[in-house]
Amino acid sequence: MRYYVKKIVSLIMVLFLIMLLTFIAFQVIPGDGAISRLGVDATDEEVEALREALGLNRSLPERFFSFLGGAVHGDFGKSYQYSKPVSELLTARLPATVGLAAISIILILVISVPLGLLCSRKEGGAADRAVTILTQTLMAVPAFFLGIIITLVFGLILKWFQIGGYIDPKVNFTGFLQYMIFPAAAVAVPKIAMTVKFLKTSVLRELKLDYVRTARSKGNTERVVLWRHVLKNALIPVITFMGMVIADVLAGSIVIEQVFNLPGVGRLLVVAIGNRDYPVVEAVVVYIAAVVLIVNFIVDLLYQKVDPRVRMR
Amino acid sequence: MDKKNSGNHRLLLELDHVSVGFPIGKREISVVTREVSFQVCEGEALGIVGESGSGKSVSMLAALGLLGNGGHVVSGNIRFYPEKEQCLVLNQFTEKQLCEIRGDDISMIFQEPMTSLNPVMTIGQQVEEMLVLHGNCPKEERRSKVLSMLSEAGLPDTEAMYGKYPHELSGGMRQRVMIAMAMICRPKLLIADEPTTALDVTIQAKILKLLKKFQKQYGTTIILISHDLGVIRNVCSRAVVMCAGEVVEQGNVETLFENPEKEYTKRLLAAALGKGGILRRENAPQENIIVKARDYSVYYEEREEQLFRQDETVKQEEEAEKVENQKSELEQTIEPKEIQNNLSKKAEIQKENRQESESELEQPIEPKEIQNNLSKKAESQKENRQESESELKQPTAQRKNQRYKIEMLKRRFRQFLSGKTKRRIVNKVSFDVYAGEIVGIVGESGCGKSTLAKAVAGLNPLTEGELYLDCKQPQMVFQDPYGSLNPSKTIGWLLTEPLRLKHCGTKEEQRKAVEQMLEKVGLGKEYYHRYPNTLSGGQRQRVAIAMAIMLKQKLIVLDEPVSALDVTVQEQILILLVELQKEFGLSYLFISHDMNVIHRICDRVFVMYQGEIVEKGNTDAVFENPQHEYTKKLLSARL
Amino acid sequence: MKKQNQKNWSLIFGIVLVSIVCVFAFVGLFWTPYEPTAMSILKNKPPSFAHPFGTDNLGRDILSRVMDGASTTFLISVITVTIGLVAGTVVGAFTGYYGGIIDELLMRLNDTLTSFPSILLALVFVSVIGTGKYNIILALGVIFIPSFARVVRSEYIVQKELDYVRNAKLLGAGDLRIMFVHILPNTKPILLSSLTIGFNNAILAEAGMSYLSLGVQPPDASLGEMLSNAQTYLLNAPWFALAPGLMIVFTVLGFSLISENLK
Repeated sequence: MRYYVKKIVSLIMVLFLIMLLTFIAFQVIPGDGAISRLGVDATDEEVEALREALGLNRSLPERFFSFLGGAVHGDFGKSYQYSKPVSELLTARLPATVGLAAISIILILVISVPLGLLCSRKEGGAADRAVTILTQTLMAVPAFFLGIIITLVFGLILKWFQIGGYIDPKVNFTGFLQYMIFPAAAVAVPKIAMTVKFLKTSVLRELKLDYVRTARSKGNTERVVLWRHVLKNALIPVITFMGMVIADVLAGSIVIEQVFNLPGVGRLLVVAIGNRDYPVVEAVVVYIAAVVLIVNFIVDLLYQKVDPRVRMR
Repeated sequence: MDKKNSGNHRLLLELDHVSVGFPIGKREISVVTREVSFQVCEGEALGIVGESGSGKSVSMLAALGLLGNGGHVVSGNIRFYPEKEQCLVLNQFTEKQLCEIRGDDISMIFQEPMTSLNPVMTIGQQVEEMLVLHGNCPKEERRSKVLSMLSEAGLPDTEAMYGKYPHELSGGMRQRVMIAMAMICRPKLLIADEPTTALDVTIQAKILKLLKKFQKQYGTTIILISHDLGVIRNVCSRAVVMCAGEVVEQGNVETLFENPEKEYTKRLLAAALGKGGILRRENAPQENIIVKARDYSVYYEEREEQLFRQDETVKQEEEAEKVENQKSELEQTIEPKEIQNNLSKKAEIQKENRQESESELEQPIEPKEIQNNLSKKAESQKENRQESESELKQPTAQRKNQRYKIEMLKRRFRQFLSGKTKRRIVNKVSFDVYAGEIVGIVGESGCGKSTLAKAVAGLNPLTEGELYLDCKQPQMVFQDPYGSLNPSKTIGWLLTEPLRLKHCGTKEEQRKAVEQMLEKVGLGKEYYHRYPNTLSGGQRQRVAIAMAIMLKQKLIVLDEPVSALDVTVQEQILILLVELQKEFGLSYLFISHDMNVIHRICDRVFVMYQGEIVEKGNTDAVFENPQHEYTKKLLSARL
Repeated sequence: MKKQNQKNWSLIFGIVLVSIVCVFAFVGLFWTPYEPTAMSILKNKPPSFAHPFGTDNLGRDILSRVMDGASTTFLISVITVTIGLVAGTVVGAFTGYYGGIIDELLMRLNDTLTSFPSILLALVFVSVIGTGKYNIILALGVIFIPSFARVVRSEYIVQKELDYVRNAKLLGAGDLRIMFVHILPNTKPILLSSLTIGFNNAILAEAGMSYLSLGVQPPDASLGEMLSNAQTYLLNAPWFALAPGLMIVFTVLGFSLISENLK
C-alpha cells in the first residue's frame, strides 16, 4: 500500500514539475504571444489590448496557477492561430494519434515476443542468424525513412492504399484500420527489431544463471526450462524496455503523422511550433508528458506484480 | 583399495577412464579432465576434493549432461547401476533419457544457494515441481508431501515457507530448500557440489548434519564435492583427491588423511588443516599501544530496499534450531542442546540491548596483563566515560520514550527523502592493539568485523565512541584481489601512486623503490608494466600487500586477505605476511572467518558476534580454553 | 569459433560502412563535385555518369547535396554528443561520487527527462529558442546531457564502492584525483558504447527535426531536410529520397555494429 501511495505522490509531483518547466520555458521566449500574433507592425495600444484580453499582463505566479488550474480541468486556453479552445483541437486530433500508437504497440507485442523466443531457443541456427541480421539492419532505419519507403512501395507502386487518404474511424472503422496499418508498420518495425534483440539478450543472460542449471538437474526438458523457468525472469527487464518503447512510439508518431499526412496530435504540435502558437504547444507537451508518465507508472506497477523481489519494498 | 566397500555393498556408479572436454572451434577439443576413474557403492559417502580448477565437479556434471557450452565425455564410460542387473551408460544417453534420470535417480545440490533457486517461483512450487516431473504422486497429496519434506529438511513453519520466495530466506535456509528438493523423490544418488562453501561455519555444520541424516535415514548415496578437507572428513568415508584434471590419490578418508602418499595430498592437508605450523612468534611485544578503542560503535547507512539483513539470517537460523531441537528431543540424537539454547537466548538479549541505545555496557573480559599496561591517561578517560555514562542513564523512561518517538519520526523523514537507513553494525567495542603484534578478529559474516576494520582504517565516518591511533594513516589489504587493484592501471603505476601522492623522491627514485618492493613481495621487476588482469589471484594479493606497505606505515588492516585464494596459495601469502611483518616491524589487524588461519598467524584474537567482541585473549588461551559459548561453537564447527 | 567469425565479420562490415560514410562527410566539408546549391535545368534526372545519384527537383546534384548534408549532419551530431559527453560525465561523476540530496533531486529530474523521447524535448527546445543549425546543436547537446550523466553516475556508484577506490583513499588521494584519475578510465567501455549510441541518436534526432523543417533551414543541406523535399517527388524521382535515406541507414548501422562488437 505504501508503495502505491509513494508512487502516486511522486507521479503527481513530477507532473507538476513538468507543467512548471513547460510554463517557464514559454515565458522566456523573447517577445510574447501578443506580439507574435499581431506581428511587429502592431501599435503599442493594440498589443496592450490583446495582452489584456489574453491575460498576459498578470504576474507570473498568477498566470502559472491559472494555467495549472485550467490544465487540471483540461482547459488550455485558446489557440492563437485557430481562435478555438485548445482542448477542442486536441480532442479532434486524438483518434488518429491514439489509433496509430495502439496499432503499433499491438504489432510490436504480437510479433517481437514470439520472434525473440524463437531466436533465443535456437541460438546460432539459420533462423536466428537471419533474424539477427534483419533486426540489426531494421534498427538502423529511421521511422520516417521507412514511412517514405512504405509510401513509395505500397502507396505509389502497389497502390494498396491512397496516399493522404485518412479515414475517420467514426465514419468507417475498417477503412481507418486498413489505412492506419501502414503508418503503424513504419513506427513499429524498427521497434520490433529492438525488442527482439532485447528479449533475446535477456533470455540468453538468464540461461547462464544458476537456477537454470538447477531446473535442468531436476529433470526438466529444455523446452520446459525455457517456458516455465526462464521466460518469466527474462520478461521482467522487457517490461521496463517496453515502457521506453511506448514513449518512443509516441515520439515516432509525431514524425510519422507528417509522412502519412495524418491529422494527429503530432502534426498539430509541429504546425503549432511553426506558427508560434504557444497555448497549443504547451497543451500538447503537457499531454504527451502526462501519457509518458502514466505509461511509466503502469510499467512500475506491472514490474512490481511480476517480480516478487520488488513486492517486498 | 576399495575391496572392503565393494565387498559389502553393491556398486552404484562407476567412472571408467572418463575424460571430459569442451569444444573450441569446429574441430578442436580442450580436455579438462583426463582418465578419471572411481567407483561409488550404494549407501556410502564419497568425497571429491581438489582446489579450484582441478576439475572436481566436471565429471559429475558431465554424467548428468549439465555441463553446458558443449562440454561432454570424450572417452571412457560412466556407468550407473540403479537396480541389480541394470547397467545404464550415462554418457551414451540422449537428452530425453537423461531427463528421466535427473532428479529422480540422481539429484544435485549446488554451491550458490543465493542464485540456485528460481527467484520468481515460490519455494513450494519449486519443490513440488519435482513431484510433478517424477513419481506418480496424485495432485492432492503433493502439497502435504512437500510440507513434510520441508520440515524434514529442518525448515520452520512449513505452511508459510511454501508460499515464500527465495529472496526472503537466508543462505542456510535456501540450501535446506535445495536439499528438500533434491531429496523429495528419494534419489539413489545425491551429488552435492560445494554445498556449504558459501555458508558460515556454524550453518555449514548444520547443513552437513542434515546431509548425513538423510544418508542414514534413506540409505542415499552421497558424492560430496568440496575444496574443504574438513567438510569431506566430516561426511565421507572415502575420498578422491583431484589436481589439474586428474585423480591424484583415492582411498579411505582416515588412511588418506593420516597417511597421504602423494606429495600433493600432503601439501593440501598441511595447508588446510592448519598443520603448516604456527607462523607467529612466541612472545609478541606488548609495550606501546598503537590502536586504542573505547566504546567504539560503527554505523552503516543502507538503502531501505537492501532487504536481506544479517539479523534476519540469525532469526531464521534460530527458528530452525528450535524446530530441530524439538525434533531431536523426540529422536534422542546427541545434540549439545544447552549450548544452543543458551546461545539463542544470549542472542535475543543482545538484540534487546542493541535496541535500547542507553543500555548498560557489558564489561569486556580483558586479560589482566593488558589492563595493567594501560596508560594512566587511558584510565582517567575511562573514569570520565563512566561518569558520563551514569549521566546518560538518568533520563526517565518517559523521556526516553519521547526521545525515541522523535528519533523515529526524524528517521522516517530521512528515509523518505533518501531511502536510506542507519544501522548500528558494531556495538560499543573496546580493545587495544600493541605495536608489532598481529591481532586477529574472527567471526561469521555479518558480525561486523569488516565494518570495524574499515572504520579503524578511517573508511567509515559514521562512528561513535573513542578511537586513538598512534600511527600515520593505516593501510588496508582487502579480500577480493580482483577489486582492490584498479584494472586500468599498470602495477608500476599503482605502486608509484602512494609515492607520487606524498611527493617522495624523483621519478627515478620512485621507480627504484617500486622495483625493490616488487622483489620484496616475490614478484620481480618484470611485473612493472603488467596490468592486474594478467595476474593470478595470489599475485594480485602480493601487489595489494606491496601497495599497503609502500609508505612504510606501521598499521596494516587485513580484511580476509587470503579467503579468496586456494589453500596452497594461502600458505604462501601468509608466510609473506609474517616475513614482512618481522622485517618492517608492522602491526596487523587481521580479519578472518577462518579459525585455522587465525590460529597460525595471530598473537591475540578477538571473537566478534553480532557486533560485539564477546571474547578476547592470547590465541593459545582462546583456542585451548574458550570461555564464551559462541567461541566454543566456532571452534567445534572447525573440521 | 563460428560465433567469433560472425562477430569479426560484422565488425569489419561496420567499420567499412562507417569509413565510407565518414569519407563522404569529411570530403563534403571541403569539396563536392558540384556546388550543392547550384541549380540547373536537368530536373529530377535519374543517376548518370555526370550525376551518379541523379538530380533533384531544382536540378541540383544529389551526390553533392548528400555529401554536404552528411557533413552538416555529422558535424551537428559530433558537437552535440561532445557537449553531452563532457557535461554529462562531469555531472555524473560528481553526483555519483558524492551522492546526497542534490544527487537525489537531480536524478529524479534526470529520470523524468530521460524517460521522454529526445525528439520531443528537442521540439520543445526549438519552439522556445527557434530553428536553425546552431539552435539544433544547443538543443540536442543539452538534451543529451542527462542520458550521459545517468550512465556515468551509475558507473561511479558501482566503482566508488570497489576496494581500489578505498585503497586510493587510504593512500591519501583527493576526491578529484580519485574521480578523474582513478575511476574515469574504468568507465571507458561503458562511455564508448554510450558514445556510439548517443551519436546514432543524435543523427536520427537531427534528421527527424530537419525532416519536420524545424532543424537545419534551407538552403543549407541536411539529410533530413532532403528527405522532406524528396517525398513530394517520390514517384518521379525515388533516388532523391533513397540517397539521403540510405546514407542515414548506413551510418546508424555501421556505428551500431561497431558498438555491438566493442562490448
